[in-house]
Amino acid sequence: MVARRRKRAPRGSEDGIPGPLGYSAVPIKFSEKQQASHYLYMREHRVREGTKSSWPQKRTLFVLNVPPYCTEECLSRLLSPCGPVQSVELHGKPELAESPKEPKSKFFHPKPVPGFQVAYVVFRKPSGVAAAVALKGPLLVSTESHPVQSGVHKWIRDYTDSILDPEALRVEVDTFMETYDKKIAEEEAKAKEEEGVPDDEGWVKVTRRGRRPVLPRTEAASLRVLEREKRKRARKELLNFYAWQHRQTKMEHLAQLRKKFEEDKQRIELMRAQRKFRPY
Amino acid sequence: MGPAPAGAQLCGDTGDPEMMEPSLEGTVKEGKKESSKKHTVAGSSVEGLLQPVKLSRVELYKEPTSEELNRLRETESLFHSSLLRLQVEELLKEVRLSEKKKERIDAFLRDVNQRIMRVPSTPETELTDQAWLPAGVQVPLHQVPYTVKGCFRFLPPAQVTVVGSYLLGTCIRPDINVDVALTMPREILQDKDGLNQRYFRKRALYLAHLAHHLAQDPLFGSVRFSYTNGCHLKPLLLLRPNGKDEHLVTVRLHPCPPSDFFRPCRLLPSKNNVRSAWYRGQSPPGDGSPEPPTPHYNTWILQDIALESHMQLLSTVLGSASGLRDGVALLKVWLRQRELDKGLGGFSGFLVSMLVAFLVSTRKIHTTMSGYQVLRSVLQFLATTDLTVNGISLCFSSDPFLPALADFHQAFAVVFLDSSGRLNLCADVTASTYHQVQHEARLSMMLLDSKADDGFQLLLMTPKPMIRAFDHILHICPLSRLQAACHRLKLWPELQDHGGDYVSAALGPLTTLLEQGLRSRLHLLAHSRPPVSEWDISQDPPKHRDSGTLTLGLLLRPEGLTSVLELGPEADQPEAADFRQFWGSRSELRRFQDGAIREAVVWEAVSMSQKRLIPQQVVTHLLALHADIPDTCVHYMGGQLDALIQGLKETFSTGEESLAAAVRCYDELSRLLWGLEGLPLTVSAVQGAHPVLRYTEVFPPTPVWPAYSFHERLRERASLLPRPDKPCPAYVEPMTVVCHLEGSGQWPQDAEAIQRVRAAFQLRLSELLTQQHGLQCRATATHTDVLKDGFVFRICVAYQREPQILKEIRSPEGMISLRDTPASLRLEKDTKQLPLLTSALHGLQQQHPAFSGVARLAKRWVRAQLLGEEFTNESLDLVAAALFLHPEPFTPPSSPQVGFLRFLFLVSTFDWKNNPLIVNLNNELTAEEQVEIRSGFLAARTQLPVMVIVTPQDRKSSIWTQDGPSPQILQQLVVLAAKALPVLEKQLLDPRGPGDIRTVFRPPLDMYDVLIHLSPRHIPRHRQAVDSPAASFCRGLLSEPGPSSLMPVLGFDPPQLYLAQLREAFGDLALFFYDQHGGEVIGVLWKPTSFQPHPFKASNTKGRMVVSQGGELAMVPNVEAILEDFAILGEGLVRAVEARTEKWNV
Repeated sequence: MVARRRKRAPRGSEDGIPGPLGYSAVPIKFSEKQQASHYLYMREHRVREGTKSSWPQKRTLFVLNVPPYCTEECLSRLLSPCGPVQSVELHGKPELAESPKEPKSKFFHPKPVPGFQVAYVVFRKPSGVAAAVALKGPLLVSTESHPVQSGVHKWIRDYTDSILDPEALRVEVDTFMETYDKKIAEEEAKAKEEEGVPDDEGWVKVTRRGRRPVLPRTEAASLRVLEREKRKRARKELLNFYAWQHRQTKMEHLAQLRKKFEEDKQRIELMRAQRKFRPY
Repeated sequence: MGPAPAGAQLCGDTGDPEMMEPSLEGTVKEGKKESSKKHTVAGSSVEGLLQPVKLSRVELYKEPTSEELNRLRETESLFHSSLLRLQVEELLKEVRLSEKKKERIDAFLRDVNQRIMRVPSTPETELTDQAWLPAGVQVPLHQVPYTVKGCFRFLPPAQVTVVGSYLLGTCIRPDINVDVALTMPREILQDKDGLNQRYFRKRALYLAHLAHHLAQDPLFGSVRFSYTNGCHLKPLLLLRPNGKDEHLVTVRLHPCPPSDFFRPCRLLPSKNNVRSAWYRGQSPPGDGSPEPPTPHYNTWILQDIALESHMQLLSTVLGSASGLRDGVALLKVWLRQRELDKGLGGFSGFLVSMLVAFLVSTRKIHTTMSGYQVLRSVLQFLATTDLTVNGISLCFSSDPFLPALADFHQAFAVVFLDSSGRLNLCADVTASTYHQVQHEARLSMMLLDSKADDGFQLLLMTPKPMIRAFDHILHICPLSRLQAACHRLKLWPELQDHGGDYVSAALGPLTTLLEQGLRSRLHLLAHSRPPVSEWDISQDPPKHRDSGTLTLGLLLRPEGLTSVLELGPEADQPEAADFRQFWGSRSELRRFQDGAIREAVVWEAVSMSQKRLIPQQVVTHLLALHADIPDTCVHYMGGQLDALIQGLKETFSTGEESLAAAVRCYDELSRLLWGLEGLPLTVSAVQGAHPVLRYTEVFPPTPVWPAYSFHERLRERASLLPRPDKPCPAYVEPMTVVCHLEGSGQWPQDAEAIQRVRAAFQLRLSELLTQQHGLQCRATATHTDVLKDGFVFRICVAYQREPQILKEIRSPEGMISLRDTPASLRLEKDTKQLPLLTSALHGLQQQHPAFSGVARLAKRWVRAQLLGEEFTNESLDLVAAALFLHPEPFTPPSSPQVGFLRFLFLVSTFDWKNNPLIVNLNNELTAEEQVEIRSGFLAARTQLPVMVIVTPQDRKSSIWTQDGPSPQILQQLVVLAAKALPVLEKQLLDPRGPGDIRTVFRPPLDMYDVLIHLSPRHIPRHRQAVDSPAASFCRGLLSEPGPSSLMPVLGFDPPQLYLAQLREAFGDLALFFYDQHGGEVIGVLWKPTSFQPHPFKASNTKGRMVVSQGGELAMVPNVEAILEDFAILGEGLVRAVEARTEKWNV
């Protein structure tokens, strides 16, 4: 453990930054003031044969270890010298698919607190990826021309952003419910059509909406039926009628006591080990 | 396997073969033993964890032997469970003396006997002429007045007999004492020695001479004086063996007169044996008034006479019955745990043995009973019999000359006569001690009857020190004030009787006085007994005032505490004068609403916390008035911890009132919600779900009136925003209220759609509340914030069936089954369990007014230790509730102070590994259900969280502790509690005042690797800190309601936001600790496992960097950059990042 202390000097040198297999390490700092830097690990986005990925081949740069204060815009700005950037997406962990086009509703899915993330940067041209991998850095997240807020300023901005317009919410809810209602109405209409109509092989689909409703097909309902059956059977049985039944119950009682006794002995053993019997 | 046989062979070649074999055998055996040991360890208990028992079928169902059947039957009839039987047997094994030690003690006793007989005699001298005494020894008695008639000479004892528990076999560890009676030869004593302490003087001189000679003997490790049961007239000599046996045994020498020397009729309780003329040095008043009786003095002589006859009685009763001996031993443990057995007037083991003998003689106990049954019978007897009213007697003779029980009741508080019918065994026991014994017996009986699983533990293993058993305690110090009190209370006869011991003389009248004054507020008053001191033979005996302090414990009656009025009789009645006399200047004539004019005392108290301290006012007033003890000598410990839960501006209240105001406001709001018109569905339930609404929020909310100039305004949303250039605005936490809407076919059956419908309801709710009641509202998709009278509530609309819909899973066959999902569990917790818990605890507060204080102190403490965020709010509340619902062996606490001490005790001693903490809210769980829960717990232990709290609503999963704490954090809390408890108790027991009570609330910071110091400017709750800063920043609050109401800044707490970011970014590298109540420092602990270098993995690069290590690439945390990140993420809030340890400097 102690031997792990090493000099930090070699890291500044050009080739000194060790990058893992296939990745290149690019130092990144928040601003000029910082002494130490984090390292972005970048490489071209590739997937094994057979796995599907929706990211465009050749043009996508895969970046690991993006610090929490580095946003999409910021990353885009930092990498734009390498070539025009088409899109930047940040994720909590490596994901193969692009996120759905439709953005999530800001009302129902508040922005999560960022940690260290991975980024998929899509360049317009494949050359951008090569240029990015060859970057030397250190990259600066916040510069004078493009300051990035953090700390108290960021929290105040977040708080302000969190106060949303109720009208917009209402509109969103209304549109959602309209489409939902339409969908439900369609489904019902379809179900009504099928009601009582035999299919090709002559089977009739029985649903809850029919004239004679049937038991719902749920686990709870089937359990209830089973329970009822069991009770019915138990009522018919004779208890403590035959001699062997007597013997068995007695034996059962004894076994219970033995089991309890064993358990108790174990507890005592444990208590003794914990010196729980010293009243002083 | 390889090298071992080779080594053996080599050995065999060189050494002789004969030596080989045994050694080999030895190793084989050892090996076997080891393996078998390993086996049992693995089988039974790994790291002290209970495991479900697995017995094979054959073992379970084999034919029972008659022995086994007998044992089982015996267990059923003599004990109430086999566990109890085993526990009792274990305990007895632990406290009993081993045979080996007995042999050593016997040998020592034989030596002692020889040495005593060899002590040379002395010539006869006057009692007052003590010049013959050698220089190195002092008379172990205060000889006041000094002059006394009579002569003394030393002669070896006529008889040396061992008496007491050692011979009976009821002697228990620790401190093994062997009592030895030395019968003084008749020649030493004279006719009238019973008079004027002459007998006691001779007794003391006898001991002094003995001590001098024995002290020179190398056999003894120490020779010291002490008092018999703390009685100042009766010293005794302690002998301890030399060398390593020093702590084995203490032999106590009691000189006693020949049994027929004193005439018993001279020593009846109505007789006087200490003449006033002699004692006070003045002639008796000429009017011929009779001398005052000296019952205690007489008793002390009688006790010496009866030593042997008591011994005989006990040995005939206990000698043959082992069950009775076990019972006595158990009772002694029981008394010892309650601190009842020591000191003058203690309920000693001897008394209990006599009580057992009495119960045997009245056939309440049979000799075949087991120890447990004896314990139970004695407790039952104590619980139901009041010896202060109806004394009992072991004497069955119908001698007409014997005094009646009534005579004894006149002279003594508690009456229990021995077989002679003349000696009251309980002479020194005060009424309050006896009531305490009774109270304890009653509690214990209740515990035994409740068939609690851990009854044994609570009954015999849990110590009940005064500080933890009583709600308030008070010290009277210095004790010399009691001398003045005796004069004030006109207790001269008692002083004469007690030989000048003003402490015990004043004790009875003082406790009676206080009991009378506290009447309706008091459940029980107990006093400490002065400890029995020991001193070197060359020193003077300790003075009465040297016995430290007198400590009184008050067990309060919560229902009596709320009244500030002491109602007296009507002014024209004769009792009015007594009342005036009793209360002195505090008594006033008052006219009441019903027209009556009465004497009354009114105490100044506005808030609950002040009302709780009315007993302090009563006690100090009465002591000053009647006993001349000024309040500087009365140190009252009752509200010392209140300061920690007091609000910023209220120094007179501990916040119960503010909480009640918030709850009232909530009640109004819920009424508004019920009556709201225009909602498409009706409201089916409104339930609180916030700590404030169950009275457990540490710092209760106060109405907020924000100053506009301090904030940015967002006009279109009618909200205030924090301003970057100002200090952080005041922290306002909205109080969560769950509003259930009725079920209806209109609700969609799809989770996403339900979410939208709920959002629509939130919007509607906000509109309606604004329209119909003019309240400022702000709706979001999940909640609506409502500003009402300065309080902010967060209303969450809920739909009963939503969790179920989230749970539904459709199997491929189309069967719908219900499976818990994280989302459904969370929703169920928030909308179902939390409101249920809140209402249950709200109810608990109504029953136990101290609950709020205890829960808040407990939470305050845990948070002050920076561990607050590891424990959920609810789990801590439940632990506090357990103190009230399961107070055994105590009673529910009536003051925050004692409740907090018990919280610390519970946390530091509870065995979370093997027990669930069952909190039986509303008493919904039956005993059988609890047993079931326990067995279910054992079976599922490995899947359950470290800390398991079971409530009637949550019997299996312990939802409030599922996400934490981790075992290490819990362990840390246990350690901290175990350290804090003795410190705090010591502070409270210190009669000079507790000193700095906040000591135990300050967290240790030396364990953290990094400290992040925050700037107070952006800590909105800075003023809540344990050491509240003298000045802090303005938080933009007005003292008066402002002109219009914009929504204040809600839930904006920069340290919390900062912590959330830190945890998200570095949660797998470090742990972060912070006190949310105004902490100025965040403690960071690196996680050792994350600092192990490991190979590169794309999914695990967070905050790490690659370094080459011995040619291989490995990932290690980029500590330097991370430390700088700490500062960047908290820009403006972080003052400094202090890396304290170098150990992680990778």
